[in-house]
Amino acid sequence: MDNEAILRKYKLRQKLINILPVAALAVLFTILVVTVQAKGYRLDMYLKIVFNEGVVLAVVATGAVFIYTLGSFDISLGASTLFSATMGVMTYNATGSLALMILVIFGAAVGCSLLSSVLASVFHIPVFVTTVAMMSVLSAIAAQIITTNGGAVGGISIPSALVKPLDNMGFKIAALAVFWLVCFFVFSFTKIGRRQKFLGGNPVCAQLTGIQVNKYAIIAFVMAGLGVGLGAFLTLVYTPSVTATTAGSIGMNIVVAIVFGGMPISGGPRSRIYAALVGGFSYILLNNILKLLIDSNIGYGVSQIVSAVFFLAVVYVTGLNYRSQMLPR
Amino acid sequence: MKTPILEMKHIRKTFASTVALGDVDLNVYPGEIRGLIGENGSGKSTISSIAAGMQKADSGEMRFRGAPWAPVSMLDALDKGIGMIVQESGTIQGVSVAENMFLGEMQQFPGPLGTVDRKAMNAKADEALRSIGVQNVSGATPMAALDFQTRKLVEIAKVVMKDPEILVVDETTTALSQEGRSILYALMKKLRDAGKAVLFISHDLDEIMEVCDTLTVLRDGAIIRHFTKAEFDADAIRTSMIGRELQGDYYRSDFTPSRLPEVAVKAEHIRYGAVLEDVSLTVYRGEIVGIGGLSHCGMHPLGKILFGAIRPDAGEVVTGSGVKITNETVAMKHRFGYVSKDRDVESLSLSASIRDNIAIAGMEQYAVNGFLMLNSRERVYVDKQIADLSIKCADRDQAVSQLSGGNKQKVVFGKWIGRGSEVLILDCPTRGVDIGVKRAMYQLMTELKNQGKSIIMISEELPELMGMSDRILIMKDGKITREFARSADLSDAEIIKYMI
Amino acid sequence: MKKALALILALVMVLTLAACGGSSTDSEAQTPADEGDKTVKIGVLVSDVSGEEALGFRAYYEDYIAKNYNVTFTYTEQLEDAAAEKAAIEKFAAQGYDAILSLAASDRATQIETCEANGLYYAVVSGMLDDAQFEQYKGNEHFVGQIGPSMDTEYEAGYAMGQYFAQQGVKTVGIYGAFIPNPMHVYRTAGVLAGLGCTYGGASDKDGIAGQLFGDQGVDMSKVACGDIQIVGYFQGFGDTTFDELFAIIGQQPDAFLSVGMATTFFADSLNGANIPYSDIDSFTSGNAANMADGTLTYLAGKYSSSIGPIFAATLNAVNGNPIRDAEGNAISISQSYLVATDSATFDSIFNGDKGDSPIFSKDVLDTVIGAVSYDDFVKLVESK
Repeated sequence: MDNEAILRKYKLRQKLINILPVAALAVLFTILVVTVQAKGYRLDMYLKIVFNEGVVLAVVATGAVFIYTLGSFDISLGASTLFSATMGVMTYNATGSLALMILVIFGAAVGCSLLSSVLASVFHIPVFVTTVAMMSVLSAIAAQIITTNGGAVGGISIPSALVKPLDNMGFKIAALAVFWLVCFFVFSFTKIGRRQKFLGGNPVCAQLTGIQVNKYAIIAFVMAGLGVGLGAFLTLVYTPSVTATTAGSIGMNIVVAIVFGGMPISGGPRSRIYAALVGGFSYILLNNILKLLIDSNIGYGVSQIVSAVFFLAVVYVTGLNYRSQMLPR
Repeated sequence: MKTPILEMKHIRKTFASTVALGDVDLNVYPGEIRGLIGENGSGKSTISSIAAGMQKADSGEMRFRGAPWAPVSMLDALDKGIGMIVQESGTIQGVSVAENMFLGEMQQFPGPLGTVDRKAMNAKADEALRSIGVQNVSGATPMAALDFQTRKLVEIAKVVMKDPEILVVDETTTALSQEGRSILYALMKKLRDAGKAVLFISHDLDEIMEVCDTLTVLRDGAIIRHFTKAEFDADAIRTSMIGRELQGDYYRSDFTPSRLPEVAVKAEHIRYGAVLEDVSLTVYRGEIVGIGGLSHCGMHPLGKILFGAIRPDAGEVVTGSGVKITNETVAMKHRFGYVSKDRDVESLSLSASIRDNIAIAGMEQYAVNGFLMLNSRERVYVDKQIADLSIKCADRDQAVSQLSGGNKQKVVFGKWIGRGSEVLILDCPTRGVDIGVKRAMYQLMTELKNQGKSIIMISEELPELMGMSDRILIMKDGKITREFARSADLSDAEIIKYMI
Repeated sequence: MKKALALILALVMVLTLAACGGSSTDSEAQTPADEGDKTVKIGVLVSDVSGEEALGFRAYYEDYIAKNYNVTFTYTEQLEDAAAEKAAIEKFAAQGYDAILSLAASDRATQIETCEANGLYYAVVSGMLDDAQFEQYKGNEHFVGQIGPSMDTEYEAGYAMGQYFAQQGVKTVGIYGAFIPNPMHVYRTAGVLAGLGCTYGGASDKDGIAGQLFGDQGVDMSKVACGDIQIVGYFQGFGDTTFDELFAIIGQQPDAFLSVGMATTFFADSLNGANIPYSDIDSFTSGNAANMADGTLTYLAGKYSSSIGPIFAATLNAVNGNPIRDAEGNAISISQSYLVATDSATFDSIFNGDKGDSPIFSKDVLDTVIGAVSYDDFVKLVESK
């Protein structure tokens, strides 16, 4: 085999591994369609449910890609979603203004994010440390507000008729598309995205290339905050109530979504903005397929175990790519 | 003809997209010190590491003393007769010298109740160290208390203690002082005289010619030529290394200092901890200023201060137009570029592609309306740098980590030159770079100077300082001790006087 | 190239989801349930998958009801939040289910609305909606109703427990508040404090105490004032320090340990071992029978597993076209109190009367309200047991 052939083979493999996440999404989608049809269930409803389950995750995780790209980590995103939704509901119930509610949701989400990143840069500590603190503080405040005001119902809510008109596919797709395209543009067509990827790969070198680490960390957290805000709003559109457990699983699911999307969790040059979208929906599809195929009477947790095995397999396969082989001198 | 100790036949090895070795035959005979030389990526380290069990060949056959040779690890190879001293340090800091030397084999010193008889072990370690001529270290000394060179000697003792038939020495001498080197050379001669063999890998042609009996030149994963001692000739060896006659001059051909009248950068009364004391300098456009000294003289931090990456305790760095450089961003805005001595950590993002590394500094050059980044324009920009600097790579999307040292450095240069840097601060720009690339770098520097750009070259190598600089500033203990103007009459000895 | 491909594929995927999802939500309206051989499919929403009570309920539905009626029950996994509840209902709808029985309480209003939107009958199996919420939804066609302890009942259950121990003459007690701020546990704890004769932040009434407990997220010991009974310790939740807190109380050897839930699951061994009398609000299960017979469990307020039989009957009726509505045509709302046992004999009579194949609400009993029955007859039956 000559050099050219080896190179071709290598590039082909790289290409295959890069396409894998999208291919996996397509395969999972097909399996779901076939399973639902075979069982005689209503496909139209199922697809809607999957979309509803995936859209909040996709939105929040897409914003979070900016943070993960930096090689950083925000564990507080779920709590922040809960907190923003809580503040939004309280605002509406106090003022009766939908516009103000939306403003407060986004304000709270971006505010939490900014606070995490600014505190980190002021105190010179890794930003994920501040997010750990933020997580506890935000969920405690939200829980306090919810239980104090929710009383016997156990949750607070806005009138369900308020946002019901928005609880349709058209609005949610539009919201996802607009947010995703904004993120895509910032990530792929501005200096911000390139600098963040570079920072994630080697912060020391980035600093010595004139990239201000704090500035780009703050931008990343603002983008993530916008995602959280939109995610919190979409959560309220789906269910107009907020309980202390709302969005509880988002934090971990973001990590899974990003990995399923084929992006290294350490961020850097191999980060992709579409990872969260592809991975988020893949994960939701996988969960639904497993629940359809595995009889719930077998026992709780079987589908979680299968899902975890899938996760490890994905990590292994994507790992093949960036476990780079080094040439000895 | 003697029977070889080791025969390697049709050895092939590929890494991802790169052929490291393509069908290489190599025999190692008793009683010889064989040098292996070649440019970065020529395959010299690969072939020796395969022999020493560090990695496996994709195909090919090896025989050791007539029997098939297939070590499963370096330890296995060492036990069976081929030991290797590697370039990177392979010692553990937290434990003693003796524990390092007998790692995994302490059961040979049984003490009461399953413990280790440390006294016996330390004594054996002392003995091994003395046998290679290391006097002032004992087995009980904690490893962390030793300097880099002594740690290297411990490593050598550890390998030689096993009395290998073949000793592989991979670029070890760069870590050693003259004293350390003489210990190693003596050891190699001793082994040779005992009918064993040494494979000696080095970048340093003079060293190889002095130490080795025979010499094998590799290029692009193939053996180009074997030289016997009688055939040793620097030019011939160099030619076979790079595959063509070296054309033109290595360093600058003129010996007259020159510069444009405008000031490019000025540093005034810089103080920085105990590292720099009141350093002032002025660099003009079209000038190459060399800064030399011993490693800890303060010249490396000075480079960073000039780029704004370190904020000095006192004093300031200003551009020719009087703008104060307060951080890297300001420096870059005024077209400063900085090539770090620690290339893999500070100048490159190894996991990123060539494209990412070059484009990151030059985005203003091809952004539409100052902000819109288009892949098409980026590719054109990057490809131009790859072509201008003849970076050897599979394509622009190849990870920088897969490139040889010289090509990595070219990527760094591309990153800064592409964006039109007017002031280049180069800290050890030719470190770990083979001669072919070195020469290209020097030609590039000359070209940049002629374009009116300023270069501040910080270097620990006197020949390149003398060969390239219009002015040489010599530093010692955080101060500039002497300035030399470019001249054909400069002598090493005179310059060194001001360093130590 | 590959990026473009990835993008296109992702977009196609999203659009397909959209197109299919958006198109025909109501194209195949739920087939009207008709009487006859068709198996009635019921989905059960659960937020607790491991408690004694939940397991008892599940066994009654799956092992008894499903064998005696032409129905299937499908349990969800543990539902964490309102969105999960809504998605679970929508999935049942997509799978052609007829009705939803809910044991999950994150957002019952959304549960009802979702069932209504998808044409599924809906009933609250255990517990009750908040009064205002019930008013809002009681007229919904698909809302079958609710049978269970109301918050008043929860408070009463706690109060009775506190009062019982006070009358026994205990001087020192420890209290476990279970999962406050879960409203059910808040009201029970409020009841316990009042029953022991204590005030909380000056309040001694139900709403006064419960309101403050919601605000404090637990019992703030500095706000508790009791007569001659001393509360030696209070804790809630379940985590790393739970057992440390329990042992701190055990160390003080209180006369009784009062729990408003889960104590028999979490702490029975420790309390039996320390020989401290304890109480709980749980259910009549074999585990609790043993604790009462051989251990120190001295007071148990609980539901029996088949107490959820009537709501099933009402739901089945609704699916089969015989809805039970009150005089104004509204959904059922019947408060069901706890049964209390303070000795093994009482416990066993309740427990043995409600076992496996011979539950209190057996097929024979339920059959009297299956088919076309009046609201009053239905209420009478529920309240008779």
